[in-house]
Amino acid sequence: MAQHTLTDNLQFPESNTVTKAFFGVAVVGIVASIIGFFINTEQFYFSYLTNFTFVATIILAALFFVMLQHVTSSSWSVVLRRIPETFSYHIFLLALFFIPVLFGMQYLYEWSRPEVLAQDDLAQYKEPYLNTTFFIIRNVIYFVIWSFLGWKLYQNSVRMDNDGVDAKLYSSQKVISGPGLLLFGFTLAFASFDWLMSLEFHWFSTMFGVYIFSMSFQVFLAIAILICLYLRKQGLLLNTIRLPHYEDLGKLLFGFTVFYAYIAFSQFMLYYYANIPEHTMWYYNRLQGSWETVTWLLFFGRFVIPFILLLGLWAKTNLKLLAGLSILIVVMHFIEVFYIVTPALHEAGVSIHWLDITLLLAFAGLFFGLFFQKFKSNSMIPKNDPLLADSLNKH
Amino acid sequence: MSSDDNKQLYGLLAEFKNPGELMEAARAVAKAGYHKFDAHSPFPIHGMDEAMGLKKSKLGWIVLGHGILGMLGGIALQLWVHTSAYPMNISGKPEANMPAFVPVTFELTILLAAFGTFFGMFALNKLPRLNHPLFNSKTFEKASDDGFFISIEAEDDLFSDEKTEKLLKDIGASHVEKVYDTD
Repeated sequence: MAQHTLTDNLQFPESNTVTKAFFGVAVVGIVASIIGFFINTEQFYFSYLTNFTFVATIILAALFFVMLQHVTSSSWSVVLRRIPETFSYHIFLLALFFIPVLFGMQYLYEWSRPEVLAQDDLAQYKEPYLNTTFFIIRNVIYFVIWSFLGWKLYQNSVRMDNDGVDAKLYSSQKVISGPGLLLFGFTLAFASFDWLMSLEFHWFSTMFGVYIFSMSFQVFLAIAILICLYLRKQGLLLNTIRLPHYEDLGKLLFGFTVFYAYIAFSQFMLYYYANIPEHTMWYYNRLQGSWETVTWLLFFGRFVIPFILLLGLWAKTNLKLLAGLSILIVVMHFIEVFYIVTPALHEAGVSIHWLDITLLLAFAGLFFGLFFQKFKSNSMIPKNDPLLADSLNKH
Repeated sequence: MSSDDNKQLYGLLAEFKNPGELMEAARAVAKAGYHKFDAHSPFPIHGMDEAMGLKKSKLGWIVLGHGILGMLGGIALQLWVHTSAYPMNISGKPEANMPAFVPVTFELTILLAAFGTFFGMFALNKLPRLNHPLFNSKTFEKASDDGFFISIEAEDDLFSDEKTEKLLKDIGASHVEKVYDTD
């Protein structure tokens, strides 16, 4: 059996213009969105939250993936770990882009409006948790934790590229990741309550955090597959990220498609079956008029189609199929975030505003541009990782 | 008359020195056109399935079939119970209430798929059987320690005492012996 060694060029080519293309898209999106802000401020904030969440969930799931690989000492994923590492490095910038949400709180979150608080019993009851000061404090805590984890895990990994294997540094990745995962679980759950669930503050779901996590991890895997395939198309890391790695990514994508469906359906069924008026409201609104169509679209687009097509072993190494399904899942993720946020503003029916699109260009352009810019600045794989040889020889 | 004469010949057992030789031998035996043969080693050898020319297992299809059967069975069972055998009004919901049917349908899909996997594997491996003729060979005990073997069954169309033995010796078997069925 031939031993695989590092034979590929590990540097993302300087001549590649994908970073510029993404930043170009971002500039167009940002300019258009700023104009939109003055035209329709309320819509701007809802579109902003939709797209912020879309990008944030991908990046946070990337952080989760990195920590998971460290605590489990996974060897299979070493060759592609720099991708999620680079994503999670940018969480501190995500924190910066959360600030506009704070300015838009009065538009987004009914509970933060004094006139609602004065009249609504439930708002008063929930006031010790749902108040502006505590909301800001909580978000500062989330972003401090995430930014530290993302930044530190990236820095340590890059330091090993330059200084060689350092057993102490290597084990410190695990030491950070263990408690990091625990903190991540809590912070992601509470962040999802704060950002999304409190949009309709009368409603609550104790499994909302898991629901958001299941969506995020599924879409992150799709993004990871797409980036690996992009590198492959550019002729990069051909002998490094090989079919067995795609097979594993495909298996995980399949597994977390099922996990997502399990969680999303469990949440739905509990409310549907118990049929308590204040609990069913959230789904009631989403099963009316054109929102019902979106519900079915998500059911088929995010579960049924990927499930059936990914079921066979052959599918997980069929790169064209993986690419197609990954794109489908990314699109569905955007639609689902939109479907969680927008009914709070447009209860009557689906209403896509051009700001949803311009802000998508702004956020996706900016953060993917930043990703490739950072990806270019260091080796594309953690080249001194002790488990790299195992990963290269994966079969 | 030796005692061997009234016993049924099961096949030939050939020993090889190491996993590499075993793999080459398996490839050669498969290439010679034998189908009813098997390779035995103390640990799994990567690439052996391919070397032996094994086709992909049919188990996946058996599991899929059972899973679909479980799914349809689960839906049919609940439709029958809730709409004809024992219709009940549950908080004003429709009798044929698909969302509420999902958990039972899901569980039955998993249950039947698991049965399909378990019993399908048994059937494909011709289990349960309490003994195997190969265990009559003393040397075969090494198969769980440090021995690498290929056995070719006498039932194979190409099998002949001399030719098969010659083939096995040609491809590097260090020791070939006849194995008999005891009963």
